[in-house]
Amino acid sequence: MAYYNPEAILTDAQKAPCTFELAVPGLAPLNNGSAIEHGTKLDLPLWMAEMLAVSKPAGPSSTSLASLDMPPALGPRVLNALSADPKSVELRAQAQWFYGLGERMLDLFDEEKMVELLIDMFSRQTFKQRALEIADKSQNTRTTQQGGDSGDFMGGLDETERQLFRAAHDGSNAVKRWFESSSRS
Amino acid sequence: MALPLPPGLTPAEVGFLCEMELVTVIPRQRLEGLELLGGPTQPMIPPFATPLPLWLALLLKKQRRANISPPGWLNVEALTHILDFETDERTADVFSPSPRLPQPTSTAPLEEDPYLAHDALELSPPFLKDAATAQAQDDALPYHWLELSHLLLTHAADDFDDPDAVHRLLRDLREVRMSKLRKGFRVLDAGAGVKMNGMGGMEVAEVRGFVGGVVDGLRINRSREEARKEEEAEQRENGLGSSNYRDDEDDDML
Repeated sequence: MAYYNPEAILTDAQKAPCTFELAVPGLAPLNNGSAIEHGTKLDLPLWMAEMLAVSKPAGPSSTSLASLDMPPALGPRVLNALSADPKSVELRAQAQWFYGLGERMLDLFDEEKMVELLIDMFSRQTFKQRALEIADKSQNTRTTQQGGDSGDFMGGLDETERQLFRAAHDGSNAVKRWFESSSRS
Repeated sequence: MALPLPPGLTPAEVGFLCEMELVTVIPRQRLEGLELLGGPTQPMIPPFATPLPLWLALLLKKQRRANISPPGWLNVEALTHILDFETDERTADVFSPSPRLPQPTSTAPLEEDPYLAHDALELSPPFLKDAATAQAQDDALPYHWLELSHLLLTHAADDFDDPDAVHRLLRDLREVRMSKLRKGFRVLDAGAGVKMNGMGGMEVAEVRGFVGGVVDGLRINRSREEARKEEEAEQRENGLGSSNYRDDEDDDML
Protein backbone atom coordinates (compact mmCIF):
# COMPACT_ATOMS: atom_id res chain seq x y z
CA MET A 1 0.00 0.00 0.00
CA ALA A 2 1.13 3.53 -0.54
CA TYR A 3 3.58 4.96 1.96
CA TYR A 4 1.95 8.36 2.20
CA ASN A 5 -1.64 7.24 1.90
CA PRO A 6 -3.45 8.15 5.15
CA GLU A 7 -5.92 5.34 4.62
CA ALA A 8 -3.11 2.81 4.36
CA ILE A 9 -1.53 4.18 7.53
CA LEU A 10 -4.78 3.98 9.45
CA THR A 11 -5.47 0.49 8.17
CA ASP A 12 -2.11 -0.71 9.37
CA ALA A 13 -2.72 0.84 12.76
CA GLN A 14 -5.52 -1.62 13.45
CA LYS A 15 -4.72 -4.25 16.01
CA ALA A 16 -4.35 -7.98 15.54
CA PRO A 17 -3.75 -10.62 18.20
CA CYS A 18 -0.23 -12.03 18.39
CA THR A 19 1.25 -14.87 20.38
CA PHE A 20 4.89 -14.54 21.29
CA GLU A 21 6.96 -17.63 20.64
CA LEU A 22 9.99 -16.46 22.55
CA ALA A 23 10.58 -14.56 25.71
CA VAL A 24 11.37 -10.99 24.78
CA PRO A 25 12.27 -9.07 27.92
CA GLY A 26 13.28 -5.97 25.93
CA LEU A 27 9.77 -5.34 24.69
CA ALA A 28 8.25 -5.13 28.16
CA PRO A 29 6.76 -1.64 27.60
CA LEU A 30 4.33 -3.22 25.17
CA ASN A 31 2.87 -5.31 27.93
CA ASN A 32 2.37 -2.46 30.42
CA GLY A 33 5.69 -3.08 32.08
CA SER A 34 5.55 -6.81 32.75
CA ALA A 35 8.04 -8.97 30.87
CA ILE A 36 6.97 -10.89 27.81
CA GLU A 37 7.29 -14.67 28.06
CA HIS A 38 6.80 -17.52 25.68
CA GLY A 39 3.10 -17.74 24.98
CA THR A 40 2.12 -14.20 25.95
CA LYS A 41 -0.78 -12.94 23.90
CA LEU A 42 -0.96 -9.28 22.97
CA ASP A 43 -2.90 -7.10 20.58
CA LEU A 44 -0.42 -5.30 18.41
CA PRO A 45 -0.90 -2.95 15.43
CA LEU A 46 -0.56 -4.65 12.07
CA TRP A 47 2.69 -3.02 11.04
CA MET A 48 4.40 -4.19 14.20
CA ALA A 49 2.75 -7.59 14.17
CA GLU A 50 3.85 -8.21 10.61
CA MET A 51 7.45 -7.32 11.42
CA LEU A 52 7.49 -9.63 14.42
CA ALA A 53 5.82 -12.50 12.63
CA VAL A 54 8.08 -12.32 9.63
CA SER A 55 11.47 -11.62 11.14
CA LYS A 56 13.58 -14.47 12.41
CA PRO A 57 16.29 -13.73 14.95
CA ALA A 58 19.64 -15.36 14.34
CA GLY A 59 20.26 -18.34 16.57
CA PRO A 60 19.75 -22.08 16.91
CA SER A 61 15.95 -21.98 16.97
CA SER A 62 14.77 -20.28 13.83
CA THR A 63 11.20 -19.55 14.81
CA SER A 64 9.88 -16.05 14.34
CA LEU A 65 9.39 -13.79 17.27
CA ALA A 66 5.60 -13.99 17.27
CA SER A 67 2.83 -15.66 15.40
CA LEU A 68 -0.07 -13.73 13.98
CA ASP A 69 -3.65 -14.84 14.53
CA MET A 70 -6.70 -13.79 12.64
CA PRO A 71 -8.22 -10.71 14.23
CA PRO A 72 -11.70 -11.23 15.71
CA ALA A 73 -13.13 -8.86 13.10
CA LEU A 74 -12.49 -11.53 10.47
CA GLY A 75 -13.33 -14.46 12.70
CA PRO A 76 -15.74 -17.25 11.74
CA ARG A 77 -18.67 -15.63 13.56
CA VAL A 78 -18.42 -12.45 11.53
CA LEU A 79 -17.88 -14.32 8.29
CA ASN A 80 -20.95 -16.44 8.90
CA ALA A 81 -23.02 -13.38 9.66
CA LEU A 82 -21.79 -11.79 6.45
CA SER A 83 -22.66 -14.77 4.31
CA ALA A 84 -26.12 -14.84 5.87
CA ASP A 85 -27.00 -11.17 5.40
CA PRO A 86 -24.24 -8.75 4.43
CA LYS A 87 -26.33 -5.67 4.86
CA SER A 88 -27.16 -6.12 8.52
CA VAL A 89 -23.62 -6.50 9.84
CA GLU A 90 -22.09 -3.42 11.43
CA LEU A 91 -18.67 -3.42 9.87
CA ARG A 92 -17.65 -0.30 11.71
CA ALA A 93 -18.07 -2.02 15.06
CA GLN A 94 -15.73 -4.79 13.90
CA ALA A 95 -13.01 -2.62 12.41
CA GLN A 96 -13.01 0.89 11.08
CA TRP A 97 -11.10 -0.15 7.98
CA PHE A 98 -12.63 -3.56 7.50
CA TYR A 99 -11.80 -4.20 3.89
CA GLY A 100 -8.28 -2.91 4.34
CA LEU A 101 -7.82 -5.31 7.22
CA GLY A 102 -9.00 -8.21 5.12
CA GLU A 103 -6.63 -7.23 2.37
CA ARG A 104 -3.65 -7.24 4.75
CA MET A 105 -4.70 -10.60 6.11
CA LEU A 106 -4.75 -11.97 2.58
CA ASP A 107 -1.10 -11.02 2.34
CA LEU A 108 -0.06 -12.69 5.55
CA PHE A 109 -2.01 -15.92 5.53
CA ASP A 110 -1.40 -18.81 3.24
CA GLU A 111 -4.16 -21.28 4.04
CA GLU A 112 -6.09 -22.00 0.90
CA LYS A 113 -9.47 -22.27 2.56
CA MET A 114 -9.15 -19.01 4.42
CA VAL A 115 -7.97 -17.22 1.32
CA GLU A 116 -10.86 -18.50 -0.75
CA LEU A 117 -13.35 -17.48 1.89
CA LEU A 118 -11.99 -13.99 2.24
CA ILE A 119 -11.77 -13.36 -1.47
CA ASP A 120 -15.25 -14.57 -2.16
CA MET A 121 -16.58 -12.45 0.65
CA PHE A 122 -14.87 -9.37 -0.62
CA SER A 123 -15.37 -9.47 -4.32
CA ARG A 124 -18.74 -10.99 -4.62
CA GLN A 125 -20.94 -10.96 -1.64
CA THR A 126 -20.25 -8.38 0.98
CA PHE A 127 -18.78 -5.50 -0.89
CA LYS A 128 -21.13 -5.55 -3.82
CA GLN A 129 -24.34 -6.05 -1.90
CA ARG A 130 -23.48 -3.34 0.57
CA ALA A 131 -22.44 -1.06 -2.28
CA LEU A 132 -25.84 -1.50 -3.91
CA GLU A 133 -27.51 -0.63 -0.63
CA ILE A 134 -25.31 2.45 -0.37
CA ALA A 135 -26.37 3.51 -3.84
CA ASP A 136 -30.01 3.27 -2.84
CA LYS A 137 -29.49 5.18 0.37
CA SER A 138 -27.60 7.99 -1.32
CA GLN A 139 -30.63 8.90 -3.42
CA ASN A 140 -33.01 9.51 -0.59
CA THR A 141 -31.44 12.29 1.45
CA ARG A 142 -34.40 13.07 3.63
CA THR A 143 -34.68 9.62 5.17
CA THR A 144 -30.99 9.40 5.95
CA GLN A 145 -31.01 12.75 7.69
CA GLN A 146 -33.93 11.85 9.84
CA GLY A 147 -32.10 8.75 10.96
CA GLY A 148 -34.86 6.26 11.55
CA ASP A 149 -34.16 2.65 10.79
CA SER A 150 -31.58 3.52 8.16
CA GLY A 151 -29.38 4.97 10.89
CA ASP A 152 -28.18 1.50 11.84
CA PHE A 153 -26.93 0.70 8.40
CA MET A 154 -25.29 4.07 7.87
CA GLY A 155 -23.64 3.93 11.26
CA GLY A 156 -22.28 0.49 10.53
CA LEU A 157 -20.37 1.37 7.37
CA ASP A 158 -16.61 1.23 7.46
CA GLU A 159 -14.47 4.01 6.07
CA THR A 160 -14.22 2.83 2.48
CA GLU A 161 -17.99 2.46 2.32
CA ARG A 162 -18.44 5.91 3.77
CA GLN A 163 -16.29 7.35 1.01
CA LEU A 164 -18.40 5.46 -1.51
CA PHE A 165 -21.54 6.95 -0.03
CA ARG A 166 -20.06 10.41 -0.13
CA ALA A 167 -19.08 9.95 -3.79
CA ALA A 168 -22.56 8.81 -4.77
CA HIS A 169 -24.20 11.55 -2.76
CA ASP A 170 -21.89 14.23 -4.13
CA GLY A 171 -22.67 13.17 -7.67
CA SER A 172 -26.42 13.66 -7.42
CA ASN A 173 -25.97 16.74 -5.25
CA ALA A 174 -23.70 18.41 -7.77
CA VAL A 175 -26.22 17.82 -10.54
CA LYS A 176 -28.98 19.34 -8.42
CA ARG A 177 -26.84 22.33 -7.57
CA TRP A 178 -25.98 22.89 -11.23
CA PHE A 179 -29.64 22.84 -12.15
CA GLU A 180 -30.41 25.44 -9.53
CA SER A 181 -27.49 27.69 -10.40
CA SER A 182 -28.25 27.66 -14.09
CA SER A 183 -31.88 28.49 -13.40
CA ARG A 184 -30.88 31.59 -11.52
CA SER A 185 -28.45 33.16 -13.98
CA MET B 1 0.26 11.21 -3.43
CA ALA B 2 -3.46 11.63 -3.56
CA LEU B 3 -4.95 14.61 -5.31
CA PRO B 4 -8.21 15.69 -3.66
CA LEU B 5 -9.98 16.31 -6.98
CA PRO B 6 -11.78 13.28 -8.36
CA PRO B 7 -10.79 12.09 -11.81
CA GLY B 8 -13.06 13.10 -14.66
CA LEU B 9 -15.42 16.02 -15.08
CA THR B 10 -17.77 17.19 -12.35
CA PRO B 11 -21.41 17.86 -13.26
CA ALA B 12 -20.82 21.60 -13.08
CA GLU B 13 -18.00 21.30 -15.59
CA VAL B 14 -20.15 19.20 -17.93
CA GLY B 15 -22.84 21.84 -17.69
CA PHE B 16 -20.35 24.52 -18.56
CA LEU B 17 -18.98 22.60 -21.52
CA CYS B 18 -22.41 22.06 -23.03
CA GLU B 19 -22.64 25.79 -23.66
CA MET B 20 -20.27 25.22 -26.53
CA GLU B 21 -22.93 23.40 -28.56
CA LEU B 22 -24.32 25.18 -31.57
CA VAL B 23 -28.01 26.05 -31.56
CA THR B 24 -30.20 27.63 -34.18
CA VAL B 25 -30.94 31.26 -33.46
CA ILE B 26 -33.48 33.49 -35.16
CA PRO B 27 -32.28 37.07 -34.75
CA ARG B 28 -34.65 39.92 -34.25
CA GLN B 29 -32.29 42.65 -35.31
CA ARG B 30 -29.33 42.89 -37.62
CA LEU B 31 -26.07 41.96 -36.01
CA GLU B 32 -22.62 41.56 -37.50
CA GLY B 33 -20.73 38.32 -37.41
CA LEU B 34 -18.37 37.98 -34.45
CA GLU B 35 -14.79 36.75 -34.49
CA LEU B 36 -14.88 34.12 -31.80
CA LEU B 37 -11.94 31.95 -30.80
CA GLY B 38 -13.58 28.87 -32.22
CA GLY B 39 -14.16 30.52 -35.56
CA PRO B 40 -16.21 33.38 -37.00
CA THR B 41 -20.00 33.37 -36.72
CA GLN B 42 -22.23 34.20 -39.61
CA PRO B 43 -23.70 37.72 -39.71
CA MET B 44 -27.20 37.76 -38.31
CA ILE B 45 -29.83 39.00 -40.70
CA PRO B 46 -33.44 38.64 -39.60
CA PRO B 47 -35.38 36.53 -40.18
CA PHE B 48 -32.79 34.02 -41.34
CA ALA B 49 -31.73 31.34 -38.87
CA THR B 50 -28.08 31.31 -37.81
CA PRO B 51 -26.15 28.71 -35.86
CA LEU B 52 -24.50 30.14 -32.76
CA PRO B 53 -22.88 28.70 -29.64
CA LEU B 54 -25.31 28.24 -26.81
CA TRP B 55 -23.68 30.74 -24.47
CA LEU B 56 -23.96 33.47 -27.08
CA ALA B 57 -27.51 32.45 -27.91
CA LEU B 58 -28.54 32.69 -24.26
CA LEU B 59 -26.91 36.08 -23.95
CA LEU B 60 -28.73 37.44 -26.97
CA LYS B 61 -31.97 35.96 -25.74
CA LYS B 62 -31.58 37.74 -22.44
CA GLN B 63 -30.99 40.99 -24.29
CA ARG B 64 -34.09 40.27 -26.34
CA ARG B 65 -32.16 40.43 -29.56
CA ALA B 66 -32.88 36.90 -30.74
CA ASN B 67 -35.06 33.85 -30.32
CA ILE B 68 -33.77 30.32 -30.02
CA SER B 69 -35.26 27.60 -32.14
CA PRO B 70 -35.53 24.33 -30.21
CA PRO B 71 -33.53 21.35 -31.49
CA GLY B 72 -35.23 18.71 -33.59
CA TRP B 73 -35.50 16.29 -30.69
CA LEU B 74 -36.77 18.75 -28.09
CA ASN B 75 -40.47 18.71 -28.73
CA VAL B 76 -43.42 16.69 -27.45
CA GLU B 77 -43.66 14.17 -30.30
CA ALA B 78 -39.98 13.35 -30.49
CA LEU B 79 -39.60 13.05 -26.72
CA THR B 80 -42.71 10.88 -26.41
CA HIS B 81 -41.30 8.60 -29.06
CA ILE B 82 -37.99 8.31 -27.24
CA LEU B 83 -39.71 7.77 -23.92
CA ASP B 84 -41.76 4.94 -25.40
CA PHE B 85 -38.55 3.37 -26.63
CA GLU B 86 -37.00 3.60 -23.19
CA THR B 87 -39.97 2.24 -21.27
CA ASP B 88 -40.54 -0.65 -23.66
CA GLU B 89 -39.79 -3.89 -21.91
CA ARG B 90 -37.77 -5.23 -24.78
CA THR B 91 -35.21 -2.47 -24.42
CA ALA B 92 -34.75 -2.88 -20.71
CA ASP B 93 -31.02 -3.29 -21.09
CA VAL B 94 -30.16 -0.56 -23.52
CA PHE B 95 -30.62 3.17 -23.59
CA SER B 96 -31.99 5.14 -26.48
CA PRO B 97 -29.30 5.52 -29.10
CA SER B 98 -27.12 8.53 -29.61
CA PRO B 99 -27.15 10.43 -32.89
CA ARG B 100 -25.39 8.98 -35.89
CA LEU B 101 -21.72 9.77 -36.05
CA PRO B 102 -20.60 11.81 -39.05
CA GLN B 103 -18.81 10.06 -41.90
CA PRO B 104 -15.05 10.50 -41.65
CA THR B 105 -13.79 13.01 -44.17
CA SER B 106 -11.59 11.67 -46.92
CA THR B 107 -7.89 12.35 -46.95
CA ALA B 108 -7.23 15.65 -48.68
CA PRO B 109 -4.56 16.11 -51.32
CA LEU B 110 -1.14 16.99 -50.07
CA GLU B 111 -1.02 20.51 -51.51
CA GLU B 112 -3.46 22.01 -49.10
CA ASP B 113 -2.86 21.20 -45.51
CA PRO B 114 -6.27 20.05 -44.33
CA TYR B 115 -5.38 20.65 -40.75
CA LEU B 116 -5.06 24.37 -41.13
CA ALA B 117 -7.91 25.04 -43.53
CA HIS B 118 -10.74 27.10 -42.15
CA ASP B 119 -13.50 24.73 -43.04
CA ALA B 120 -11.64 21.70 -41.73
CA LEU B 121 -12.94 22.12 -38.21
CA GLU B 122 -13.83 18.51 -37.49
CA LEU B 123 -16.16 18.29 -34.57
CA SER B 124 -15.42 15.19 -32.61
CA PRO B 125 -17.92 13.37 -30.44
CA PRO B 126 -19.46 14.40 -28.11
CA PHE B 127 -19.71 17.64 -30.04
CA LEU B 128 -21.38 16.37 -33.17
CA LYS B 129 -22.47 18.65 -35.90
CA ASP B 130 -26.11 19.65 -35.61
CA ALA B 131 -26.62 17.98 -32.28
CA ALA B 132 -28.77 20.80 -31.00
CA THR B 133 -29.73 22.82 -34.03
CA ALA B 134 -33.17 22.73 -35.58
CA GLN B 135 -31.88 20.16 -38.07
CA ALA B 136 -30.91 17.74 -35.33
CA GLN B 137 -31.94 14.09 -35.54
CA ASP B 138 -35.27 13.78 -33.84
CA ASP B 139 -35.03 10.19 -32.67
CA ALA B 140 -31.80 10.34 -30.73
CA LEU B 141 -30.72 12.13 -27.59
CA PRO B 142 -27.36 13.84 -28.06
CA TYR B 143 -24.65 13.80 -25.46
CA HIS B 144 -25.65 17.00 -23.69
CA TRP B 145 -29.38 16.51 -23.88
CA LEU B 146 -30.06 17.01 -20.20
CA GLU B 147 -28.07 20.21 -19.79
CA LEU B 148 -29.21 21.68 -23.09
CA SER B 149 -32.87 21.04 -22.49
CA HIS B 150 -32.67 22.44 -18.99
CA LEU B 151 -30.99 25.65 -20.11
CA LEU B 152 -33.32 26.16 -23.02
CA LEU B 153 -36.42 25.53 -20.96
CA THR B 154 -35.28 27.91 -18.25
CA HIS B 155 -34.20 30.82 -20.37
CA ALA B 156 -36.14 30.42 -23.59
CA ALA B 157 -39.41 28.86 -22.48
CA ASP B 158 -41.45 31.11 -24.72
CA ASP B 159 -39.82 29.63 -27.81
CA PHE B 160 -41.45 26.28 -27.12
CA ASP B 161 -44.94 25.24 -28.08
CA ASP B 162 -45.69 23.45 -24.83
CA PRO B 163 -42.90 23.93 -22.28
CA ASP B 164 -44.73 22.18 -19.42
CA ALA B 165 -45.30 18.99 -21.39
CA VAL B 166 -41.70 19.02 -22.55
CA HIS B 167 -40.55 19.53 -18.99
CA ARG B 168 -42.62 16.61 -17.76
CA LEU B 169 -41.39 14.33 -20.52
CA LEU B 170 -37.79 15.24 -19.81
CA ARG B 171 -38.23 14.46 -16.13
CA ASP B 172 -39.72 11.07 -16.92
CA LEU B 173 -36.97 10.30 -19.38
CA ARG B 174 -34.34 11.14 -16.83
CA GLU B 175 -35.89 8.92 -14.18
CA VAL B 176 -36.24 5.96 -16.51
CA ARG B 177 -32.64 6.18 -17.65
CA MET B 178 -31.27 6.55 -14.13
CA SER B 179 -33.22 3.55 -12.90
CA LYS B 180 -31.91 1.49 -15.82
CA LEU B 181 -28.40 2.57 -14.94
CA ARG B 182 -28.85 1.60 -11.32
CA LYS B 183 -30.09 -1.81 -12.31
CA GLY B 184 -26.89 -2.20 -14.27
CA PHE B 185 -24.88 -1.70 -11.09
CA ARG B 186 -25.57 -5.26 -10.12
CA VAL B 187 -23.26 -6.65 -12.75
CA LEU B 188 -20.40 -4.37 -11.80
CA ASP B 189 -17.21 -6.28 -11.34
CA ALA B 190 -13.52 -5.66 -11.59
CA GLY B 191 -13.42 -7.01 -15.11
CA ALA B 192 -17.03 -6.68 -16.27
CA GLY B 193 -18.64 -3.49 -17.45
CA VAL B 194 -22.06 -1.93 -17.80
CA LYS B 195 -23.24 -1.16 -21.29
CA MET B 196 -23.67 2.59 -21.31
CA ASN B 197 -24.13 3.36 -24.99
CA GLY B 198 -26.31 6.38 -25.25
CA MET B 199 -25.72 7.85 -21.80
CA GLY B 200 -25.52 11.60 -21.66
CA GLY B 201 -22.75 13.70 -20.14
CA MET B 202 -24.58 14.76 -17.02
CA GLU B 203 -25.80 11.25 -16.27
CA VAL B 204 -22.30 9.84 -16.55
CA ALA B 205 -20.93 12.59 -14.32
CA GLU B 206 -23.52 11.79 -11.68
CA VAL B 207 -22.55 8.14 -11.29
CA ARG B 208 -18.86 8.46 -12.08
CA GLY B 209 -17.76 8.83 -8.47
CA PHE B 210 -19.77 5.91 -7.19
CA VAL B 211 -19.04 3.48 -10.00
CA GLY B 212 -15.36 4.36 -9.90
CA GLY B 213 -15.23 3.69 -6.19
CA VAL B 214 -16.98 0.32 -6.46
CA VAL B 215 -14.82 -0.92 -9.31
CA ASP B 216 -11.67 0.22 -7.51
CA GLY B 217 -12.65 -1.64 -4.38
CA LEU B 218 -13.38 -4.81 -6.32
CA ARG B 219 -10.22 -4.45 -8.36
CA ILE B 220 -7.82 -4.30 -5.42
CA ASN B 221 -9.08 -7.52 -3.99
CA ARG B 222 -9.15 -9.22 -7.35
CA SER B 223 -5.60 -8.29 -8.26
CA ARG B 224 -4.31 -9.74 -4.99
CA GLU B 225 -6.17 -12.95 -5.62
CA GLU B 226 -4.74 -13.23 -9.10
CA ALA B 227 -1.23 -12.48 -7.93
CA ARG B 228 -1.41 -15.20 -5.33
CA LYS B 229 -2.82 -17.75 -7.74
CA GLU B 230 -0.06 -16.99 -10.19
CA GLU B 231 2.56 -17.40 -7.50
CA GLU B 232 1.17 -20.72 -6.40
CA ALA B 233 0.92 -21.98 -9.97
CA GLU B 234 4.53 -21.00 -10.55
CA GLN B 235 5.71 -22.77 -7.45
CA ARG B 236 3.97 -25.94 -8.39
CA GLU B 237 5.48 -25.87 -11.84
CA ASN B 238 9.00 -25.14 -10.71
CA GLY B 239 9.07 -27.68 -7.92
CA LEU B 240 11.84 -25.83 -6.14
CA GLY B 241 11.52 -24.24 -2.77
CA SER B 242 9.65 -21.00 -2.98
CA SER B 243 11.58 -17.80 -2.98
CA ASN B 244 8.86 -16.24 -0.88
CA TYR B 245 10.44 -15.40 2.43
CA ARG B 246 7.12 -15.56 4.21
CA ASP B 247 6.86 -19.35 3.86
CA ASP B 248 8.45 -20.19 7.17
CA GLU B 249 6.03 -23.06 7.86
CA ASP B 250 7.63 -25.10 5.08
CA ASP B 251 11.08 -24.56 6.54
CA ASP B 252 9.94 -25.87 9.90
CA MET B 253 8.77 -29.14 8.38
CA LEU B 254 12.21 -30.05 7.03
